[in-house]
Amino acid sequence: MRELDGGRWTVLIVLALGAVVAGCSTKGPGADSRDGHRDTTAEARAALEAPHADSVHNALGRAAPGSFPDAIPAGADHGAKPGEWTMPGRDYVNSRFSPLGDINTANVAQLKVATSMATGVLNGMEGQPLVVGTTMYVVTPFPNVLTAIDLTKPGGAAKWSYEPNPDPRSVGIACCDIVNRGAVFADGKIIYSLLDAEVVAVDAATGKAAWRTRVGDINLGETFTAAPLVVGNNVFVGNSGGELGVRGYIAALDLKTGAVKWKAYSTGSDADVKIGPDFHAFYPKDQGKNLGETSWKGDQWKLGGGTTWGWISYDPETKLLFYSTGNPGVWNPDMRPGDNKWSITLFARDPETGNAKWAYQFVAHDAWDYDEIMENILVDMPVNGKTRKLLVHPGRTGFAYTFDRETGELLAANTFQPTNWATAVDLKTGKHLEDPTKRTHAGVVTRDICPSSTGAKDEQPSAFSPRTGLVYIPAHNVCMDYEGVEANYIAGTPYLGASVKMYPGPGGYRGELVAWDPIKAQKLCGVKEDLPLWSGVLATAGDVVFYGTMDGWFKAIDARSCAELWKTKVASGIVGNPIAYSVDGKEYIAVYAGIGGWMGAVAFPDISTDDPYTALGVAGAVPDLKQKTNRGGVLYVFTL
Amino acid sequence: MSSPSDRGVHRARIGVAAWLTVVASATALLVACNNRTDVAGGAQPASTFYIGPQPGPDRTLARAENPYHDDRTVLAEGRRLFNWYNCSGCHGDHAGGGMGPSLRDSSWYYGGDEASIFASITEGRQHGMPAWGTKLPRDQIWKIVTYIKSLRTPYEPDAPR
Repeated sequence: MRELDGGRWTVLIVLALGAVVAGCSTKGPGADSRDGHRDTTAEARAALEAPHADSVHNALGRAAPGSFPDAIPAGADHGAKPGEWTMPGRDYVNSRFSPLGDINTANVAQLKVATSMATGVLNGMEGQPLVVGTTMYVVTPFPNVLTAIDLTKPGGAAKWSYEPNPDPRSVGIACCDIVNRGAVFADGKIIYSLLDAEVVAVDAATGKAAWRTRVGDINLGETFTAAPLVVGNNVFVGNSGGELGVRGYIAALDLKTGAVKWKAYSTGSDADVKIGPDFHAFYPKDQGKNLGETSWKGDQWKLGGGTTWGWISYDPETKLLFYSTGNPGVWNPDMRPGDNKWSITLFARDPETGNAKWAYQFVAHDAWDYDEIMENILVDMPVNGKTRKLLVHPGRTGFAYTFDRETGELLAANTFQPTNWATAVDLKTGKHLEDPTKRTHAGVVTRDICPSSTGAKDEQPSAFSPRTGLVYIPAHNVCMDYEGVEANYIAGTPYLGASVKMYPGPGGYRGELVAWDPIKAQKLCGVKEDLPLWSGVLATAGDVVFYGTMDGWFKAIDARSCAELWKTKVASGIVGNPIAYSVDGKEYIAVYAGIGGWMGAVAFPDISTDDPYTALGVAGAVPDLKQKTNRGGVLYVFTL
Repeated sequence: MSSPSDRGVHRARIGVAAWLTVVASATALLVACNNRTDVAGGAQPASTFYIGPQPGPDRTLARAENPYHDDRTVLAEGRRLFNWYNCSGCHGDHAGGGMGPSLRDSSWYYGGDEASIFASITEGRQHGMPAWGTKLPRDQIWKIVTYIKSLRTPYEPDAPR
């Protein structure tokens, strides 16, 4: 499988694989071909294929996962106290691991509500609050109100609110609910994006705006939903609008003034993409000049997507910024021949200049809307006895990838949910071995594609525990039919070009919390759920992992065995990311309830489920959501 | 308090002034009431498209009508235009909703009668509905309105399966 030299061999092998896969209909996890994956023992494969509905025990039946105390790079939390949460993913590397351990496997069953506060907004509460000192900061979906809560007062008391009044016209161009994925604290300011493509910095003590910058243009269909990250004197923000032909970029703003210093685009010339003499892509498929133009037909790169609405990471050791890009604009692949670089690409950049150091395009010429804006978790762990600087990326594609983050070499990649558009990744070339019958085209319906466009996971972020060495992934099991259709570009309106219908994947479950070993690239255990998991995950030093379901169950499981330890019902489905913090030495867990987001919007009254193609196809995946939950944003805080 | 004779003199003077005021006001009111389209200064009303109730007393102002009302021969074209202008991108493949609200259900923010739908498409709305009236001819917008009114009826073209 790895000796794929010569075009003829490649074609023959791909065709053979295609015949094998075409002959099997999609089934449970056992249907995935393991050909081409290193380090998979027969025993582990058998364990993965075992048809148990709830994998609550160690799949290998033996010793619990090991401990990797140095896995999170030093300096990753940038001096935050253990009881604080000052960045979206708690630290620069997006571990979402809290060093607090008072709430643990022995006592988490006693967790109870400490306080709850309605946010006053009915849209999806993605993102997470921040805790700086003894103040919590909450950002709502549009209209993006920021509220500071004094955690020393009984029940928490709001101190002030900052109401930015973003342009309401942005509401109609946000593809997937009018969400906000959170703020970042730096230099005494709370900094976050507004839906109308502005970025604001608010004084954390007084609630007065320090600066406010218009970065993008809603008339082009551009919105901002992602959480920023601050490194040194730079505020990094990404943009949204891949469904409206928006050209993606990451922007750097001056932390003191808010002035835009540079934008590194996802398409266009090497100059626009900031690819220069320092750039060394690991794989030949990603090497060449001006690929951001030449891998497109004519001027199509100008509408080329590659938006950057997910999570940004920073490595304090190698001083590299990491993020990855979204779909290549129009969903009809026949309208944009070529590899469509640099959509669906992982970038490593110098945070000062923006210059790219390396890049890896996950999917060339995407035909499924597999935005790879996922969290890139940076950990240092031993591979074959030697500590390597790794990057773990659980993908929309159904594969979870482990890279060497210094070079961009792919060390391991395996599927973590039923996947059939590709069967494996060739680690030598970096290319997925695709099933050509699952490629979508204009004017023809391609059926039974797994995962669906929402992916084996979407933006909801995973967590890592250095105490187990595992990555906890909130996964989906949803498949789709997809037909490319002709699309017209009318600026400020959708540039979509596909008719998509989704439905549950095989196996009788639609979501799973997967405990994933990033070195072996395999699942250790998991918890299957009725609905796809659209919440983020929290891992703590108490060896507890927290996550929430779309019908409003907030759950705690054992980080080593996946056994469910506690759950409680909250007012609305959970699409936000839990955090842990402490005040006066007491540990608390906070999470937003408030259904919404792309798939969660099916619960809204103004979405009709008699058409499974509604909302870009998600209505077919969760037609029962309206019966299972209703809207209403509420902040919940739990404690012992 | 004044003497009876003083009150009589004052009453006569006040009475003339009062009568003049009454006559003048009555004339003005008569003029105003009898002129049905009179706004301040006798100008024409701003619009024949309206969603809220007409203020009185006269409420006979004609409303814009769909020239294709009940004309099923335009439904296929209305459906085609619905896709062509990216309406399906925001409102869903078969108008079930997405970025914009469902047009299949009976809940309408700005009115679900044909004239109101026409107004919403033509003028745009504040949460991002574009003002298509600045680009499209009325004829095409009425055809799209006709298609929208056919949703969830037996005549809906290309109904979802």
